[in-house]
Amino acid sequence: MNKSLKKRQPVFIRPLAPTLLSLVLIASLFFPLSARAGSPEVKPAYALVNCRIFPVAQPVIEKGTIVVRDGLIEAVGPAAKVKIPEDAEIIEASGLTAYPGLISAHTNLFLETKEQAQPPSTPEDYLAAYTQPAEPKELPWLKIIEKLKTKKETVEAYHKTGITTVVVAPSEGIFEGQSVILNLNGDEINSMVLTQPWALHINFTTERRVYPSSPMGTLAFIRQKFYDTQHYNQHLQKYRQSPQLLKRPEYDPFLEALLPYVIDKKTIVFQCNNLEEIKRALKIIKEFQLKAVLTGCNEAWRVSQELKSAAGLPLLVTLDFRPPNSSVYAQEGQAAREKAEKEIYPANASNLAKEKINFSLTSFGLSESNFIKNLRLAIQAGLPADQALRSLTIEPARTLGLEKQLGSLEPGKIANLILTKGELFDEKTKIVKVMVDGTLFSYEEKGQ
Amino acid sequence: MTRKLKKTGLIISLSFLILFLLSATWLLAGGDLLIKNATILTVTGDVIPRGDVLVVNGLIKQIGQNLAAPAGVRIIEANGRYLMPGIIDTHTHIALSGTNEGTDAVTPEVTMAEVVNADDTSIFTALSGGVTMVHTMHGSANVIGGTNVVLKLKWGKPSEQLIVKEAYPTLKFALGENVKQSSGTLLPGRPQRYPATRMGANALIRSELLQARDYMAAWDRYEQLKKSKNPPANLLPPRKDLRLETLADLLRGKLVARCHAYVATEMLEFLNLSREFGFKIGAFEHAWEAYKITNELKAAGVGISVFIDSWAYKMEAAEGIAYNAAYCTKKGLLVSINSDSGERIRRLFNEAGKAVKYGLTRDEALKLITINAAKQLGVDHLVGSIEVGKQADLALFSQHPMSAYTRCEMTIIEGEVYFDREALLKERAAASTKKGDLS
Repeated sequence: MNKSLKKRQPVFIRPLAPTLLSLVLIASLFFPLSARAGSPEVKPAYALVNCRIFPVAQPVIEKGTIVVRDGLIEAVGPAAKVKIPEDAEIIEASGLTAYPGLISAHTNLFLETKEQAQPPSTPEDYLAAYTQPAEPKELPWLKIIEKLKTKKETVEAYHKTGITTVVVAPSEGIFEGQSVILNLNGDEINSMVLTQPWALHINFTTERRVYPSSPMGTLAFIRQKFYDTQHYNQHLQKYRQSPQLLKRPEYDPFLEALLPYVIDKKTIVFQCNNLEEIKRALKIIKEFQLKAVLTGCNEAWRVSQELKSAAGLPLLVTLDFRPPNSSVYAQEGQAAREKAEKEIYPANASNLAKEKINFSLTSFGLSESNFIKNLRLAIQAGLPADQALRSLTIEPARTLGLEKQLGSLEPGKIANLILTKGELFDEKTKIVKVMVDGTLFSYEEKGQ
Repeated sequence: MTRKLKKTGLIISLSFLILFLLSATWLLAGGDLLIKNATILTVTGDVIPRGDVLVVNGLIKQIGQNLAAPAGVRIIEANGRYLMPGIIDTHTHIALSGTNEGTDAVTPEVTMAEVVNADDTSIFTALSGGVTMVHTMHGSANVIGGTNVVLKLKWGKPSEQLIVKEAYPTLKFALGENVKQSSGTLLPGRPQRYPATRMGANALIRSELLQARDYMAAWDRYEQLKKSKNPPANLLPPRKDLRLETLADLLRGKLVARCHAYVATEMLEFLNLSREFGFKIGAFEHAWEAYKITNELKAAGVGISVFIDSWAYKMEAAEGIAYNAAYCTKKGLLVSINSDSGERIRRLFNEAGKAVKYGLTRDEALKLITINAAKQLGVDHLVGSIEVGKQADLALFSQHPMSAYTRCEMTIIEGEVYFDREALLKERAAASTKKGDLS
């Protein structure tokens, strides 16, 4: 509770400071301050000194200082120019490099993965499976935050990849529900929230036994729902203007959930798992003049011309390099598929960069270790490292509408940063400290 | 001020003109070719024993003897081999990301043109059999399926460039066993989809079309009230229903029905429906018992798109006969042979060739997969024969395409070579010497 007050209403911080301090003291009785791996430390102010700094928005600072207070960055600059406040705890960071915390703008973090249903094996199972009508899964009103179960281990695993901010999106159905943006500052969900809800997520999925169950059916279904929302809104408006003239529209929870997105143009994220799905999304976005973001997009380079003419449409590009089943690479045998996965799809991001198309990279569909591995593959395939960094910091911050709070190391921004031994994308680099919302996490290995 | 405005106006209109010209040339930009010394099967005219075809910007510019190639134009030496119009398949399901929206018996809201998959390798398979154009359709699980799409098989081009906009917009209907079985009567306890019988299918189509009529009337009423001097203050437009919009388009004549049907009775029922509601039927698909009702079909001006001789593979095909296509042709119906398959599509010329055994001449048999198919799709002004001014969709065969010993050597769409057997074989030989190299 105090934590969230601290962030949102800085005016009240001063009177609360003694209380906070005593809370920290009490907490320290239970949790000795020795820096165990992953154990968070919360101090009023920190000064990270003598580190190399990649602020992203400014040129690299070879030897600099970062001052953090109350979860925000107070100052960043060369050692000579930044005055270290008296009350700040000094963290010696010589030999370390500081970057803004990375943002993965599409994950399924903390979502319980359902066990894959076994295909029916006996005739009885088969009959049972087919006699029950499948449940429709359309839940546009679903707020994914209500389904999340935070886990300390997951947070630590993400920290070790450098990711400090995530979008958690729902993952079932066509109208999947509404996502949330979280700062991975611990394991208490409400204190993590940056934006709730962020966007409505739509997937062109067909894995179901209820209408619609085909790509063309899905498109018709989405369109019909959008038209229905427009019609519902028309009726509602007219009714509100003159309730004495016409009967009220019947309450429709589905269309109510769509109103902010279709009528008020809040962000809709379209999951595009192949080049055709990108084209389909572009068409629908244009038809209904939606504010949209595309995610997935691992065949985006194949539609670069279309994406160029849809200038300003943000892309969340996954580093998952498996070619989609519809692609020609997946139809010509295992060898062709593997070649595509190793050589063709990793060049997606660099091809987009060459075409001067802006994008963010995401860890969608990937384990933590594959995220890092594939990020390096994308860089090897020609993506400049500085662009890789921007596509995981300032670019997603803009797409998420958080460019004033996140994405670079600048005074006034949220203190999300990572300290590495070595340059971020090098093979041997280790992330040794992570700070999220000013909370420090240490990941130094024993004996170092 | 006004002069300035005029000037800007002029500049704007000029730039529009330039843009228009640019886009127009882009649209016309097909290939240039000269095919020399071919046996030209024009289909609509006489066979030219040894002739040349000049293609400019994707169109057939000239047909004759001893034509000269303009500078830089590729020359293909046919050496007497057979040049025919590109083969047109009037019924298939290739190059799509889906086939059936099988969860409901009525789904006219779905649009196959939106799910074209240009990456489908069946496109190349088809090219290797001389096929240049397909009518690729919604499946036959539903009484009313979706709208279909006509594609040119431009392998390697993005999906939107495959779509033939000039073709008739068509809507898939299906009757008989496929619909009944998709309704799930076989599994005890499984929820049954309506309809499970032929009379159910007929009744369902009727009731849907009646709904579409009401829907049209509701919109007409609304438009009239909106235009009136004092529109009522509580006037709201009717709900836009994509399902009924498509059916209304059928009733307005903007769409043509293509109906999957096997037995004579169900075809006659469907003809009655088309008379009652005044919609057009493009063709009956498969139509195994068409030979029983040639007079009725001819009177209604409805053609058929059929297999040649694979009858009796299910109950409703039991009374099919291999003479169906040939007999119906002789009775004056417009007949085409289809593949309905991503494999049979590469030997559609063999399928048509069999019609010679069942009573047609080679020239008549050739029409089943060229000009007749083009007529059924509404594109006979563009393709389907070798004529000056038509699009240069061509296939080169080693022997007469209706011979059992022939094979396709080259397939050309709008003057661009999309399949070249000789070049491919060379490529393959080169690839096999470099072991492990896939490209």
